[in-house]
Amino acid sequence: MNIHLLLAGVADIRYPLHAIAVADVDRLEETGHTRRILSPYDESALELALKLRDSEPDLRLVVHLLSGPNDERLLQTVAAHKPDHLEALALLPCAPWDACLTACQLASALQAELDDHSLLLVGREFGDLDGGNLPAALAVQMGLPLLSRVQYLRWDSDGRCWSLRERGTQEEWTLVETPCLVSVSNDKRSKLRHPLMKNVMLARKASYASRRVQISRAAGLQLGSLQIPAERQRGDHCTLLTGDVSQQVESLRACLVGSGADVP
Amino acid sequence: MKSNDLTVIAVAPNRWQVSALEDVLAAAQRVGGSAQARFGCLLLGHPEPERERLALEAGACTVWTLDPGEADAEDYEMWAAVALAALESSQLWSTPRRVVLLPPGAAGEELCARIAAGNGSVAAGRCEDIRVLDGQLQFDREGWGGRLSLSLITAANDLCACLRADKPSYPGRRMEARLMPLEHEPAPRPQRQIEYRETSEKLPPIESVKTLVCGGRGVNEAGFALLERLAEALDGSLAGSLPAVDAGMVPAYRQVGVSGKFVRPDVYFAVGVSGTPQHLAGISADTRIVALNSDPEAPIFRVADVGVVNDWETILPALLEALGPG
Ligand SMILES: Cc1cc2nc3c(=O)[nH]c(=O)nc-3n(C[C@H](O)[C@H](O)[C@H](O)COP(=O)(O)OP(=O)(O)OC[C@H]3O[C@@H](n4cnc5c(N)ncnc54)[C@H](O)[C@@H]3O)c2cc1C
Repeated sequence: MNIHLLLAGVADIRYPLHAIAVADVDRLEETGHTRRILSPYDESALELALKLRDSEPDLRLVVHLLSGPNDERLLQTVAAHKPDHLEALALLPCAPWDACLTACQLASALQAELDDHSLLLVGREFGDLDGGNLPAALAVQMGLPLLSRVQYLRWDSDGRCWSLRERGTQEEWTLVETPCLVSVSNDKRSKLRHPLMKNVMLARKASYASRRVQISRAAGLQLGSLQIPAERQRGDHCTLLTGDVSQQVESLRACLVGSGADVP
Repeated sequence: MKSNDLTVIAVAPNRWQVSALEDVLAAAQRVGGSAQARFGCLLLGHPEPERERLALEAGACTVWTLDPGEADAEDYEMWAAVALAALESSQLWSTPRRVVLLPPGAAGEELCARIAAGNGSVAAGRCEDIRVLDGQLQFDREGWGGRLSLSLITAANDLCACLRADKPSYPGRRMEARLMPLEHEPAPRPQRQIEYRETSEKLPPIESVKTLVCGGRGVNEAGFALLERLAEALDGSLAGSLPAVDAGMVPAYRQVGVSGKFVRPDVYFAVGVSGTPQHLAGISADTRIVALNSDPEAPIFRVADVGVVNDWETILPALLEALGPG
């Protein structure tokens, strides 16, 4: 088996957003201090790929990172985990708000690289502008079966790979048959490890491959305008429950019970 | 735009929670209302008269039903194939523009992408508003963690989308409303090898309760054990923010937020949740938020209806005691 991993990155929510403007109907302009980091779903997908490789060292891990602001830093972050190959994919035009176009571009970039033994991993959301459509759009575009919102992947003693998804009162373990696309959700078991310092240093010195994919499409989605979303209105201002602990608890109890909850 | 220029079709599989149908009906009412278009509803799966009634009472002009036989709720490929077969039926397509709405949330978004890929329509995915302006379909999508909203425009006539709206209203059945069964024989597909194992989960799904208790990063394992007891005592359920899911406090399908579930309980009790836009995007605007947080400056207090500034360690045990044995 070989693993191809698609990563997109998101703007770090711990910092104010950099300047973004609509430059054209198909182009956003991002300036200022752009801090793009791996999203929680990118991280989970990377960790699951690394876990599979830990116990199957012959497995080849190829990472394709969507090109964008501060590529270099993000490539270094990923490289510190020592994939067998890492490249930046520059989509032209880059329209991550348009899942159909993006899926079409990614499929064209990946189709020739995947074979019958390939597992394609992607976070369950692809970057800052995916409306949750990209993994399924890509699966349809590439004609691959999709295992969605997978929380964990593991080998069994016969060397078969199983994927886990929790559903209500059940764990669902599905046998992964390649070729296949797996979209990965966040989970305690897929928290991204810290790379070795030695590898972090090596990653800073390395240079990385980059590939351009040029495909456009008629009747896609055009950019209109950008606005700051209005804060949702939710009735009156917050009533803070005052008093000592027992008074706070009593008011809280009355409020939770009185507003719809039934206490036996 | 004249009302007969646009068809809005709300699609929901009957195997999904009834709240998914309500969500999509609310979305259809909103799009239909702002575009002055009538809407229909496509119910997939074994007939459920109660759901048909809900759709009719919500004002659907036509409720189409299509039963593909035995079906797993999460077999999205199959649901998409069935929806596509129904949507192809000329009876549904009588206007120049069509908006197909799926329930908000990850499952609806997957179905949305599959339907769009299957019939060549534009996948709008998760969006906040859909309208027709200057003869073109437009919608808004929040990006960058809900910090900016992008308006997107398409010259295409067909759009598939998941719109997060508030509760639907039930004005009553229209005079001309009708129920129309459709037929479709799904093509056989290769079976996957799946093994199921029982978990210790006993709380109901988070979309189906009136009271939802939610824990965030500020709550540890002992705190989540108290929250679980509280959810039981209140006949509700337990959710978590993304960091709570990452920490293994609750499973991923209990995550609320922009990339988690969209919920509409009457009361949402947020404990140790700061109130980021990514989290709040998963809570309906008509839900009453009650917040418990040790930080008086926490943003959750800007959107909560009722707030308690204190530690959960102090409040939760006393609250459970006050609620009595459960
Ligand atoms: C692509 C992407 C998608 C995301 N999707 C989601 C999503 O769907 N849902 C989601 O929730 N997040 C999502 N996030 C994460 C989001 O950005 C925030 O990190 C998250 O919402 C914060 O969760 P929190 O409020 O639990 O944690 P924090 O923001 O860390 O807040 C913890 C709170 O606990 C309080 N606290 C601490 N100790 C106590 C105590 N003893 N008693 C009471 N209160 C205490 C603190 O004052 C603080 O306000 C997403 C992020 C990205 C990048």
